[in-house]
Amino acid sequence: MTNWIRCLTIVGLSGLFLTNTRANAQSVLEVAAEVDRLVDQQTQPSPNKICDDETFLRRLFLDVTGKTPSLDDILVFSLETHPEKRTKAAELLLQDPDYGANWGRFWRDVIYYRRSNDQVLLGAPTAEQYFTDTLNSNVPWNEFTTSLITALGDIREDGSTALIAAQQGRPEETVSEISRIFLGIQIQCAQCHDHPTDRWKQTQFHELAAFFPRVAVRPQMEPRTFLVYAVDRIRFQPRTNNNRFIGTLEHRMPNFEDPTTPGPEVSPKFFINDAQLPLGTTDMDRRSALAQWVTSVDNPWFAKATVNRIWAELVGEGFHEPVDDLGPDRDAIAPAAFDYLSSKFTESGYDMKWLIATIVSTRHYQLESQDRRPYDQLPFQANTAQPLRSDQLLDALLNTLRFPELPDRAELLLRRQFTDTFGYDPNILREEVAGTIPQALLLMNSDAISRQVSVRPGTMLGNLLAEVASDRQAVQELYLKTLSRRPNRKELATNLKFIQQVGNRNEAFEDILWALINTSEFKTRN
Amino acid sequence: MSNRNYNRRQFLQQSTFGVTAISAWQANIISQATTMRTNAKSCILLWMGGGPSQLDTWDPKPGSQQAGQARATQTALQGVQISDRLPETAKAMKEICLLRGMHGPEGSHPRASYWAQTGYLPSASIKHPTIGSHVSHHIGNPDADLPSFVRVGPGRNLTGAGLLGVDHDPFKITNPDQKPANTEIRTTRPRFSRRMSLLDQLEQDSSRSGAEHWTRANRKVYGKAARMITSPLMDAFDLQKENASSRETYGDGSFAAGCLMARRLVEAGVTFVEVSSNNWDTHFDNYQRTTELCSEVDRPYARLLSDLKERGLLETTLVIWMGEFGRTPRINGRGGRDHFPRAYSVALAGCGVSSGQVIGSTNATGEEIVDGKHSVPDLLTTIYDKLGIDAFHENMSSVGRPIRVVENGALIDGV
Repeated sequence: MTNWIRCLTIVGLSGLFLTNTRANAQSVLEVAAEVDRLVDQQTQPSPNKICDDETFLRRLFLDVTGKTPSLDDILVFSLETHPEKRTKAAELLLQDPDYGANWGRFWRDVIYYRRSNDQVLLGAPTAEQYFTDTLNSNVPWNEFTTSLITALGDIREDGSTALIAAQQGRPEETVSEISRIFLGIQIQCAQCHDHPTDRWKQTQFHELAAFFPRVAVRPQMEPRTFLVYAVDRIRFQPRTNNNRFIGTLEHRMPNFEDPTTPGPEVSPKFFINDAQLPLGTTDMDRRSALAQWVTSVDNPWFAKATVNRIWAELVGEGFHEPVDDLGPDRDAIAPAAFDYLSSKFTESGYDMKWLIATIVSTRHYQLESQDRRPYDQLPFQANTAQPLRSDQLLDALLNTLRFPELPDRAELLLRRQFTDTFGYDPNILREEVAGTIPQALLLMNSDAISRQVSVRPGTMLGNLLAEVASDRQAVQELYLKTLSRRPNRKELATNLKFIQQVGNRNEAFEDILWALINTSEFKTRN
Repeated sequence: MSNRNYNRRQFLQQSTFGVTAISAWQANIISQATTMRTNAKSCILLWMGGGPSQLDTWDPKPGSQQAGQARATQTALQGVQISDRLPETAKAMKEICLLRGMHGPEGSHPRASYWAQTGYLPSASIKHPTIGSHVSHHIGNPDADLPSFVRVGPGRNLTGAGLLGVDHDPFKITNPDQKPANTEIRTTRPRFSRRMSLLDQLEQDSSRSGAEHWTRANRKVYGKAARMITSPLMDAFDLQKENASSRETYGDGSFAAGCLMARRLVEAGVTFVEVSSNNWDTHFDNYQRTTELCSEVDRPYARLLSDLKERGLLETTLVIWMGEFGRTPRINGRGGRDHFPRAYSVALAGCGVSSGQVIGSTNATGEEIVDGKHSVPDLLTTIYDKLGIDAFHENMSSVGRPIRVVENGALIDGV
């Protein structure tokens, strides 16, 4: 990780420009500029400044790789003078395997936070690995989506089963999730009645569910797992469909007049383009057709749902909010910019790395951050600070505190502890993510962290104090290592005064490091 | 009470840094006049995870083919029998209101547990709050030193605050015999205080833009966390502080420890405590395993009721004994009983419940409910009613859909 900017300075930025073979590399800057122009047209140009290099680099590292930059990264980046160094840095980081790991965890959370029960978490590590790999090899987003919709197999062997497994293959819930995540349409509100505010009818919901009746998820012992499989022939048809160990050949509308009797059979029909299939169609034909229609270039909602989510994640405010609630009956903020960026994403061949590189190249991404705006103020006037996701926070700590090489198992346990304590559903608005007492306690008092916040030989702090005699310089380095920036004058004064008052250098620096990793700044990405 | 204030003041005086200003978290401590709630209601949920067999606990069918080896014993209530493996509970029957006519729609653990704890079936778009979260939201004291919802023991299929937000998520204690995770201060108290003051100062000194919201939130949470771990009320989590003879009355095992902690926590003002007994999923060797489970649960449960009563807390504390469903009256080929949501039992006590009665009954084989048939929404409506919570109250989901505390529930007559 620390070597990438060194490479960058050796090869030279212009050299990288030329060697980049992706056909649409050039378009990143052009599209970013056009997005900025269109957003400004609709809102108005922000009076806020572009953030400084230190802020930008920490933001970019966390957003792309989920980690914080090293001292070397900060130094080299600040010395680089190329006018397009921010975009180039982004493109380089997108080649780092940490990119896939970071966003693989993000998509794992998008899907698994809505799981119908905890047993399906058995498949989460496999899913995470699958997402990581597809993101790193930049599999086009439509292919990735298709793989999730058409998945079959053992949830511990095939990560593409994640979305279906998370809902245990229940048709209503599985299609609700497909619609929510890949179309940004909350059609599940039409499950029991016509949608109260949007145009969707109850029939349309059940026609969508009718793509999935033949999918079932069966638990298996030794090894404990779940199998996602399809049935196209059934000997015994269960009367109720509460148990999804066995699929059904056709989906039935529930009979609301008399819930004890089965409702009418419904044939599959996709509510966006009204394309349909007859009753009796095989499972794979149903799901392949659905995947094709969902990801079709003629379906604008596929690109929009993805662009909206990624933009909101990076800029801190979506064109639509919540990020998964779009649809033809909702107004976007800055619709021209949103439509434009979405169509360019489609043109790119649903290239996720291109999308991220483009968004982080916009001025709107690079603006200084502000608190979430009140609703009566103009949108997109600043980036918005966001709490780190649990994995980002743990990685920031592991990097900063230079933990000894943890055995895999120990790191796994620590990661699980962080997920339990700091994890949040990335589908919800960030201002709804609240800090908790167990979070504070974990950072304040836990064994693992306390051990590293100490001046022992081999700890980051131990080494730092041994190498740097000047308190002022040590404080500066500590800020760079934790917050990826230099302290301001007030902070420096407070810390130097503190060291003097405590009268014991080691103890004072332990206290400072303890305080820094407990600041809100350390736990947010600014 | 005065003792506690004195401790705080003493603690504050030990602070060696930041003499000029009282930092936010310290002010937070000082402003706490009292945290002991007077006359407020509390609730203890004893969660029997896995689905306890009603035939081997509350609704025995002695002498029938369905009973297998299970026998019944006379309780303190005239004409009411429960399993002979719950002898202490049988004696406490006058404190209990037993519901034998519960039924549910779901036969899988996760779905039935979700249903039993929230009154809704699971959905991907809405995470419904669990009982403890509603209770914390409505009658918890947000200014208390201790969290208002504490969950003791490692349960499975337990739900959280969902749309009510993390403030109402349970504070989890994995092992009641140890201090809760990370509540031990790692340094001396003066040094901890010094660190907190420095943290507070650095938060104020930072000039980065756009972080006011998170800074405020962080200071608030750290204030609460620090207040909690320095509070004398933390002793409620420490079972070593219970005198040995009193501890003995609860019996052994982690469920017993959990029940004792529940009493200590309620006494310290915690509004909702959940204690789990797992492993009721007796598909094999049902008789032997329910015998063990009954012996783990019987004495602590009965003692919890009597202990609360002796301390005058039973009048304001609702104690719920329930699982996600019952088990089949028919014994399977492996000597086990399988999932049976069609008829099962739940027991309520305290907090104004009309105790010493049985509501509902099943037929001779235990397969059908004869009268007093109720489902989870009725039970939850009744529970919230006892706790003074409006079951019709609507909370907003993140997509702006109003969600009632309980949907389609009616008060159970006579409770």
